[in-house]
Amino acid sequence: MRVPIDWLKDFVQFDLSADALAEKLTMAGLEVEEVLETPQGTVLSLYITPNRGDCLSIFGIAREVYALLGDACEPTPLFWRLNEWILQPPPVEPGETAQYARVEVLDPDLCPRYGARVIRGVKIAPSPAKVQNRLLAAGMRPISNIVDATNYVMLELGQPLHAFDLDTLHQQSIIVRRARPGERITTLDEREHALQPDMLMICDAERPVAVAGIMGGAETEVTENTRNILMESAHFNPLSIRRTSRALDLRTESSYRFERFVDPNLVVVAQFRVCELIEEWTGVAPVPGMLDVYPNPYPARTLHVRLSRAEQMLGFPIDPHEAEQTLARLNLKPSRTETGFEVQVPLYRPDLQREIDLIEELGRILGYERIPETPPAGTTTQGKDSPEGAFAERLRTILLSAGLQEVVSHTLEPENPFQTAGKGLSEQLYQPIMLRNPMSEELSFLRFSLLSSLVRTADYNRRRGIRDLHLFEIGRVFALGEQGYHEWLHLGILMTGNHHSPHWAEKPKPVDFYHLKGVVEHMLHALGIEARFLPVGDHDPRFHPGRSAYVHDKDDQRLGVIGEIHPNIAREYEFRQRVYVGEFSLNALRHAAAHTVAYRPLPIFPPVLRDIAILVPEEVPVGQLFDTIREVGGDWLESVQLFDRYTGSHIPEGLHSLAFSLVFRSRERTLTDEEVNQRVEQIFQALETRHGAVARR
Amino acid sequence: MESIQAIVAEAESAIANCRSTAELQAVESHYLGKKGAISQLLRQIGTLPPEQRPLFGQQVNEARAYIETRIAERREVLAQQEIAERLRAESLDITLPGVPLRPARLHPLTLTMRRVKQALLGLGFEFVEGPELERFEYNFGALNYPEDHPAMDAQNSFHVGDGWLLRTQTTAIQGRIFEEVQRGERSLPLRIAIIGRCFRYENVDATHSHTFHQVDAFMVDEGVSMAHLKGTLTQFARIMFGEEVRVRFRPDFFPFVEPGVDFAISWKGGWLELGGAGLIHPNILEHYGIDSERYSGFAFGLGIERIPMLQYGIDDLRLFLENDMRFLAQFPLL
Repeated sequence: MRVPIDWLKDFVQFDLSADALAEKLTMAGLEVEEVLETPQGTVLSLYITPNRGDCLSIFGIAREVYALLGDACEPTPLFWRLNEWILQPPPVEPGETAQYARVEVLDPDLCPRYGARVIRGVKIAPSPAKVQNRLLAAGMRPISNIVDATNYVMLELGQPLHAFDLDTLHQQSIIVRRARPGERITTLDEREHALQPDMLMICDAERPVAVAGIMGGAETEVTENTRNILMESAHFNPLSIRRTSRALDLRTESSYRFERFVDPNLVVVAQFRVCELIEEWTGVAPVPGMLDVYPNPYPARTLHVRLSRAEQMLGFPIDPHEAEQTLARLNLKPSRTETGFEVQVPLYRPDLQREIDLIEELGRILGYERIPETPPAGTTTQGKDSPEGAFAERLRTILLSAGLQEVVSHTLEPENPFQTAGKGLSEQLYQPIMLRNPMSEELSFLRFSLLSSLVRTADYNRRRGIRDLHLFEIGRVFALGEQGYHEWLHLGILMTGNHHSPHWAEKPKPVDFYHLKGVVEHMLHALGIEARFLPVGDHDPRFHPGRSAYVHDKDDQRLGVIGEIHPNIAREYEFRQRVYVGEFSLNALRHAAAHTVAYRPLPIFPPVLRDIAILVPEEVPVGQLFDTIREVGGDWLESVQLFDRYTGSHIPEGLHSLAFSLVFRSRERTLTDEEVNQRVEQIFQALETRHGAVARR
Repeated sequence: MESIQAIVAEAESAIANCRSTAELQAVESHYLGKKGAISQLLRQIGTLPPEQRPLFGQQVNEARAYIETRIAERREVLAQQEIAERLRAESLDITLPGVPLRPARLHPLTLTMRRVKQALLGLGFEFVEGPELERFEYNFGALNYPEDHPAMDAQNSFHVGDGWLLRTQTTAIQGRIFEEVQRGERSLPLRIAIIGRCFRYENVDATHSHTFHQVDAFMVDEGVSMAHLKGTLTQFARIMFGEEVRVRFRPDFFPFVEPGVDFAISWKGGWLELGGAGLIHPNILEHYGIDSERYSGFAFGLGIERIPMLQYGIDDLRLFLENDMRFLAQFPLL
């Protein structure tokens, strides 16, 4: 809201510079965002929090200035007159006005108060230059004396007004009611609206003539030919205004204020004020009397505040005289009680509901700089991380040690092949979740899998010439299942390009499946998880069917899936290089991870080393050979490693040569060459009979 | 039979002529090996008269010791020559670049969240997790937002299904925690913190994003006041931003706190607004059956992105979730 300083001084005189005043207001919760120098003078631009509708006017700000500055400012006679009227409006009678107009409120729940006055025989002309300047300074365009008067009073007091051309109203009637099915209205901005039955309308005897509290209709507006005016000043239900304004996409200075609650007493005060100004500018007095429909007046409210409670909550001592003075300057009319003050809450402060609200008023006017810095006393609590958070931290350290770069990417994403092609981490069927109100197609889905954002990140970097990527991300994914919405924390891995950074001493080597698997094995080992890799085959169309694996723990729970992305998807993203990815459930990993580590004594007896080589058909999975070697090797076999794999010349078509390095060791004694040789022979035999291998001795 | 003296003289000359440790090795085995000249001499001992034997044996052994010593001396000389040669030959261009490791770092948001977490753990807060896809009720209703109030305008949300949205603030966890208190699964006093992702329907520019991160912390105990809030925030701010930092409160409005403030820290000669705070609204405590006369609480929250932006001078919020490697490579490893 814009507050021209010279306008403010109509109500309070003070010696402060605009900057000093801005600082005071800001520190009292009325944030001055900017001090503007305009052709019409200095203007404060304020942000008013949504609970302080009473500050959406020059007068409302003047009230705050008075409460803040106290004796350092001088309220003007106009201030005191308006202040008295607002706290206790003078009584009104219909008088002669009833002869010229009629008001009926059919829906008092949405329009608790409606006031109308009539002004006859005005001549439409420009408003005085001073008024025009003030409107411009406040950010409004001058139009004509009557319209400017309504805007002027709205800015001054915060009560939106609307002037109808009385002669365009059928039967000079105002009927306030909900819209009827099929009714339409064209508003002042030339837009035509279809109305819904829950929208409150100002109507004449036949049709809607204004969208209540939001905008007038084009057919009844004041024009240069207007002679007779019906001036509307009303109080509307904030919720109804907000909903209608949103439904019609009509946001106005008027709806902005009504949404935030406008003092029902202003219905009368603003009428007095606007007619007073019109008479002053045009010489035409209003018809005596005012129509005022207010069947259920808002009740007066009193609250009590205990001084000791205020001191306890704010944490600083408060002088009772200072407290009383502060409450009095806020128009709260405090009276002393044994423990504090009873106050009368003006209707314009609906935000003051209970004691704590008064404590805040005391705090903010006395100044929060008085609050000391006291560390909390009493029971201390133990700080601790959430189990999920702590595990994610552990995982980050492990992946960092595997040489992966962490990324953090967007949750909102476009439709993509990683969501339509299934999830891979569960047998259940899940659907991706679409937003009801996306900002754009690019941001219309909740992330279904981390693979989509990792691949987009790879794509983004590749377009900037960065092709070697080794990434991980820990983030949430979302899906709709039969049980409703699901949200999981996942780990995603992506590796593509060359395995190591370009270097003069080493030839570039493209990342392959086994690099990815190595990282995953490193991670699983660090977590103490024994896992199995099972072929995905054609169960997941996101992956190369021959280069992908499910990762299961020893209880056969699925931890994740890894593999090369399917060439069809790679083609969609225009990847020429192979892209390897993996996705894991953090929950599954956390549950599978070893929680304790038991130390084993270092071996005492020497190892016996044997390297063995075999020729074996390539279609035999090497994992099965490992299983056989371990089984036959028994307790003595401490470790087995594959150190060479060879195909090519001297090796028959369809076979490959594999060389394993075996370490035998007993925990009880030194093994003899003979007994180890015998065990190796048994291994050879098993490999031959079970897998068709030929020993290369 | 050659005389001992002749053999020693011959060996001495052979040793001196050796040009490498390998040659010396051959000389050594020629004279001192099992079938070497010295062994041959010893084998002759049987042919001597018994009375000559001790002396002969002694002389042969002295000859052997002498040759051994000469060989050892020569070996040391040759070894030193060879090492010197090797060092000359093996000299590297140490200005050639080293073999690079893969660039692996944590994301700057993770680094910041770790620091925030450490600070709050040290202040006794327990971290909890809450859903990003949240019920409307927890995001607004449970936080004392009046039905359809303009206060929600600053928190335009992404809707998913009936009553579900992407949380606009991590404060949404409060209602869930208070329900746990109500069900007896938690007891007072409480110090709870949450760090996580939030969403608001907001156009993206250098300082705004529809997706951002927040940390929220709240405490409930007997007699918790604005002074405790200021004390805690000051401790937190000093851990994060340095010992000299001061905290300033300014009145602000959030439906879930009363009084509500925004808090700023002293920064480069001015004040920098960091987040919102206040005393938990008694309506909320009472809603969950907590006696608001006996118990009170404070809550504060702030944006995560703001912190690395200040710390590293980053001027564009969008960089964080774009994951340009040239950006990510600029931050510390841990």
